Parts: sequence; C-alpha cells; structure tokens
Amino acid sequence: MTNIENKIFSAYQRDSALYDEIFDEDGTIKQVYQKLFNLYGEHTIEDYVKLNSKAKSSFFNQGITFQVYGDKETKEKIFPFDLFPRIIDPEEWEVIEKGSIQRSKALNLFLWDIYHDKNIIRDGIVPMDLISSSVNYLDQMNGIDPPGGIYNHISGIDVIKHKDGKYYVLEDNIRCPSGVSYVICNRTALKRALFGVFNHYQTYSVTNYAENLLDLLESVKPKGVDIPNCVVITPGMYNSAFYEHSYLAKTMGVELVEGRDLFVENDFVYMKTIKGPEKVDIIYRRIDDQFLDPLEFKSDSAIGVPGLFAAYKKGNVTLANAPGTGVADDKAVYTYMPQIIKYYLGEEPILNNVHTYHCSRPDELKYVLEHIHELVIKPVDEAGGYGISIGNRLTKSEIELVKAQIKASPRKYVAQPIMSLSVHPTYIDETEEFEQRHVDLRTFTVLGKDKEFVLKGGLTRVALKKGNLIVNSSQGGGSKDTWVLKNK
Amino acid sequence: MSLEYTITYSTKNTYENIVHSAHWQFLIIPETNETQDFVTTNFSNSLAAINEFSINGYGFNTIRVNPRKAFQEITFTAEFKVVKKEINPFKFNLSDNSKLDYQELDSLNFKVDFEQYLKNTPFTTLPDGTNGLFQLDYSKSIFENLTNLNQWTYNHIYFKVDVTNVHTILEDIITKRHGVCQDFAHLFCAIARAYQIPARYVSGYLHQGNGYFGDSQMHAWVETYIPNVGWVGFDPTNNILVAADHIKVCHGKDYQDCAPLKGIVYSEGQNETQYSVQVISQQQ
Repeated sequence: MTNIENKIFSAYQRDSALYDEIFDEDGTIKQVYQKLFNLYGEHTIEDYVKLNSKAKSSFFNQGITFQVYGDKETKEKIFPFDLFPRIIDPEEWEVIEKGSIQRSKALNLFLWDIYHDKNIIRDGIVPMDLISSSVNYLDQMNGIDPPGGIYNHISGIDVIKHKDGKYYVLEDNIRCPSGVSYVICNRTALKRALFGVFNHYQTYSVTNYAENLLDLLESVKPKGVDIPNCVVITPGMYNSAFYEHSYLAKTMGVELVEGRDLFVENDFVYMKTIKGPEKVDIIYRRIDDQFLDPLEFKSDSAIGVPGLFAAYKKGNVTLANAPGTGVADDKAVYTYMPQIIKYYLGEEPILNNVHTYHCSRPDELKYVLEHIHELVIKPVDEAGGYGISIGNRLTKSEIELVKAQIKASPRKYVAQPIMSLSVHPTYIDETEEFEQRHVDLRTFTVLGKDKEFVLKGGLTRVALKKGNLIVNSSQGGGSKDTWVLKNK
Repeated sequence: MSLEYTITYSTKNTYENIVHSAHWQFLIIPETNETQDFVTTNFSNSLAAINEFSINGYGFNTIRVNPRKAFQEITFTAEFKVVKKEINPFKFNLSDNSKLDYQELDSLNFKVDFEQYLKNTPFTTLPDGTNGLFQLDYSKSIFENLTNLNQWTYNHIYFKVDVTNVHTILEDIITKRHGVCQDFAHLFCAIARAYQIPARYVSGYLHQGNGYFGDSQMHAWVETYIPNVGWVGFDPTNNILVAADHIKVCHGKDYQDCAPLKGIVYSEGQNETQYSVQVISQQQ
C-alpha cells in the first residue's frame, strides 16, 4: 500500500528528519494504522471537510469552549479538534501507564517527605533550595497528614515520543491539571462524525473517568465520615476551564459550587442549599492554593472559602489535590525525578526524563549561555507554556534578552535540549491537506487509598502552527482523539 | 515567682455603608508555653455573632467571627489572663567552644530543621548592597553577636509611629531609619538569617510598666535559635532580652504570618477602626 492509492493522503509530505507516528522511515504505513488508513482513504478531502465541520459543530453545540489569558479581548474559542485519531498499541500503552503510576506515586511520597521529615534533603538527594526558594512550597502544610496520605490525587503527566521512538516525560502537572473533559468530548465528536471506524478497532472506553475519579476520591474521605459528600469547586464561569469543571461535576453526579456557596462553621465545611446547610467532606478544587482561603492565603481572594484551611488542617475535609502540591511540579523538581523515583520506590524510572540543565548551577549556567541556540529555556514556575523560549527560533536580540533574564535570576530557569516531538498527520484548514504536526500526550492518573487509575487514552495535543513545538491550548494548540487498543 | 497579667484588647470598626458580609480572624490569644500558663480568654462582639475558636495554618489559636447579618458598626472586646513565670533571660550555659556552634549552623540537618526561619520573605529581604550593615564577630559567641545585633538595631532605627505601616519593606526602613516594633523585628530577622541563624518574628503583648516602647498596641520581637541553647528572645525595639514583661501570642516568618487581625469585609465607602490594648500586672 502506498500513499498514491490513498486519496486523502496523496499530498502528504514526510520530512525524514521527523518521527512520523503513522509512517515508517521508508513510507510504509505502520501496522496499527493500516485499517484506519484504508477507511479514511475511502473518503475524499471534500468528504473529510464536511465531516470535520460536523465534528466542530458538535463542540459548539456542547458549549465546549475555553479562553486564552493575555489576549486583548478574551473571547470564547473552541479547542481545535482533528478527526484523524492517534492510536497507541497495548505494549506501548503498558509502558506509559506503568510509568505514569510510578511517577505519580513517587511524587506523592516526595510531597509527604518534604512536608514531614525532609529525609530526601537530609540525605543529599535533592537540594534544600527546591523547597526554600519555591513559591509553591506552603509552610502551612508542614506536619499535616492529608486524608489517606494522598497529595496528588490527580496528576497530568505530559509525555512525548522522541525521534528514538521512546517516550519522554516533559512535565508533571499536579496542581489542577486540566484537559480530561476534552478527552471524552473528542471521543464523542469522533463517534458522531465517523462511527464506522470504531467497528474495526477494539478501543478502551474513556467515559469511565468520572466514576473512577469519584470512587478514588471517596477512598480518601476524612476520618469518621461514613458516606462522603463530594463537590467540585470552580473559580466561576469566567475561568478558562469552566466547561471542564461543570462537566466533571455533572458526570460525577456531584454539585458544582463556587466559594460563596460554601461556608465553614466550627471547622467543618457546609454547602448552602435550599434545604439548609449540607456538610461537605471532599472538595475537588479547581482553584489555586493562594485563593483557597482568604483568611490563610491571599486576603483579596473573592473565590475562596474563609476558614477552609483550618477545616483541612483539622482533618475535617479532603482537598484534592492537596494544597502545596505545586512545589513538586516545579520544573526544577522535574530534573530530579529519576533520583526521586529511585529514592522512594527503589525502582528504575519507566519513563525517560529529558536531560535538564539547572541555571542555578554555575557550570551548567555557563553551558546554557553558550549553547542557548540548541536549548529550550523554561521558567521553573510557569504553567501552560508561558515564558518558554526555543533557542533556535530566537533572533539575535531575543537571545541577548533571554540571556540577560537568565543571568538576573538563574534559579528561575532550566534548560533542556530541543526535543523532537513526534509528528502525526493533521488536517490543516488553510491548505486543505493533511500535514505533519508535532504532538504530545497528557495522561491522567488518579491516586486513591491503596489503589490507582490511569485513564486509558489521554489528550493528544497538536501544535497547529507548522514546526511549532508548544502544544498547550493556551498557545493555540489543538487535539486528537487518542485510542488505546485492547489488542493489536 | 510569677506574675499575673490581665490584657484587654478591643477594637471598634465603623463603616460608612451597611456591610452585608464580613469575616474576621483574630490571632491575639496568648499561647501556653514554658513561661506562660493558665491562659483564660473572654471574647465578645457587639453583634452577638458566634465566636469560633479555631487555629490558623501554623496551629496558633484564632477566633473567627462571621456576623450573618447586616451591620454598620461592630466592637470586639477580649480579656485574657495569663500567669507568667519570672525568668532569668541569661539562665543558660554558653558553650565554651563557640566554633562548634558556628559549625552547627552550617550543617545540613540544622538547615533543614530550621528551613522556615532561615529563608527570606518579602518583609525580611535585605536590599542589595546592605550585606555589610552589621558584621558578625566570629571570635565571639552567637549569643554575644545577637546581643550586639539587638543593640545595633535599636541604635540604627528611631522609634516613630505612623511613618511606616504593615506593608513597609526593609529598604525604606534602612534608608529612612525609623519605624515601629515590627520594623525593628523584621530588620533583626533579616540580618540574623543572612548569617544563617534561624530567626522568627514574634507577636505578642508587652507590659509597659517599665517605660518600654510598645505603642499601646500589640508588640513584636524576635526569637533566634542558638545551637545547644534553644530559642532565645530579643526585643530590638527596647534593646532588651525577652523576659516576663513579654507575653507571646504566636511566631512566624514575618508579620504576614502573625497579623493580629485579618478581615474580609464586603463593603463600599470609608471605614474607621479604633483599637486599644492594655496590659496590667499583679504580682503574685
């Protein structure tokens, strides 16, 4: 089977320097994609455009939109969706799943340690700087035992496939990782547009996420609670992920609340209802640490609940994720992940880490400044792809600016070699053709008391701009449905 | 010998417009510790709202008030009784070999144990170029050096009310050279921490019978951790060691951790706060 026989891929251009997820180096279609390739090949580009717009309208109809911060005008956008799905075969998935669980568990043990005895620092495995100069380390969490011993109930681990065909972790997101609702909605949209293709593959369902999440959250209920009452708290409808908050509450079958719907009395949390106060035991919070409780953190937070932290400290409510988890998704902590996994679990890391240079170390700083054109520079405490500079895309004056920024606060930056993210055929509106675009994969891992769950799927994010390596939705990325196969 | 103190704290808040929702958190109850005992608390508010006794994020006792009705004026009154042991602030043995103490400051375990009180906060960051402000004399013990720092701080800043506020950073204090007790305490903490000596900000009450500076409000001083000795209190506003006149409420990294009153009031327009603290002692 060659490209020519396939109508919609006839103009597909392969750059041999890139790792294409569906074609081998010699241009043969990979086995798992064979059937899909043939099925899509039955259509013309015109058909495809029609199907694509059908899928898009399904997003509009469901109201699945987001906003980008920093734009002059904030307006609702739909997350661009690509109809050509990504397939992950069972063996590859096993690695990703085991690796995600391993990392999540190691991060949880790391968090317990740095908020208790801090042995990993005493033993010289990680520097004290990781906590003492991290803005996300919450002193108030010291000595607190979170219910069930879990800090990062939900972890969003971003992995990429490099040129060598191996998976590498780019980031661990363990504050309030978002995107899971898109995983489920992408599946819905694809089923609406091209139901038939699902008959040819045995794909794991992704719609069981909410029930598993609720089950695992309930496993870490506060002591003394029989049947826990769980809620999802959102900053409100103007938040970029509001759709997801409402979606999760709806599919978990729990209330979606804002700070003003809750109050604390005698260190217990209650929800205001028309039938009177109702006690709340578990809060899946989608608001940042600093906004949780205006009496404990930022006093001008209008979205938090006064007294919430005291209720948490007394063990009367579970917060997921726990406050203070942000310290462990600092990009400086990321660089120690192989050591952190070995230290707590005595295991070799299943998923690879990208080599990272710490600008806080003088010799590494020197290397970074000299090789800036070969590196990606990342601020350690920003999320969503903000503040990232890719060395070979910078102009001379931009390079000087970045260098000056690094020199001014070396602790704030890390640098990594420019990874070549794998590419996946993606339909591009402007050219009306399939083109190679870089993709990553966000996996969702949930930790409960003595059990865990990984969503068999995940969010494949696509950098829609040609050559772009940053896939975050806030940077104009799109997404694809991601199939994990039950068998080959 | 022990002393009994009666502390009266009251504050009256008046608002131009009706307030429909408000939350307050008081961090004003004297703690119970080795030198303070038998603390009793009487707390009331003029709206007869529930007073919830709780803790803050660092485990210190708080009182939260959330009047669930509209109001324009509210008065809080607190009365505490504390029995304080009269202690000799010099009652510890300084080690013969202070070199070992300085080595201890340098050990990783020590740094981990006291991490919270060694790092800088926005209130305790020394401005660039002020590292040499106070020199440590390594031939002297840590305690002697801190006593000198206490005196240096006392001499460097002139006590003056209303020129600084709770948001003033060290740069202003060092250049203008005046401030109130929290400014003295922040400067002392910053310098001690710069030399790797753990220092914590302490909030409390000062019995002013001896003519000390304390501005009839709450007072602030410092506790530093000296290896093989423990936490030792210094009051740089008065250039004295902390003794029986100091009644401690709480400690933290800086004022931010110890703010006596946090209020979230949803209201527009002007508001006015009157506030008073009185400390009376009865020798037992």
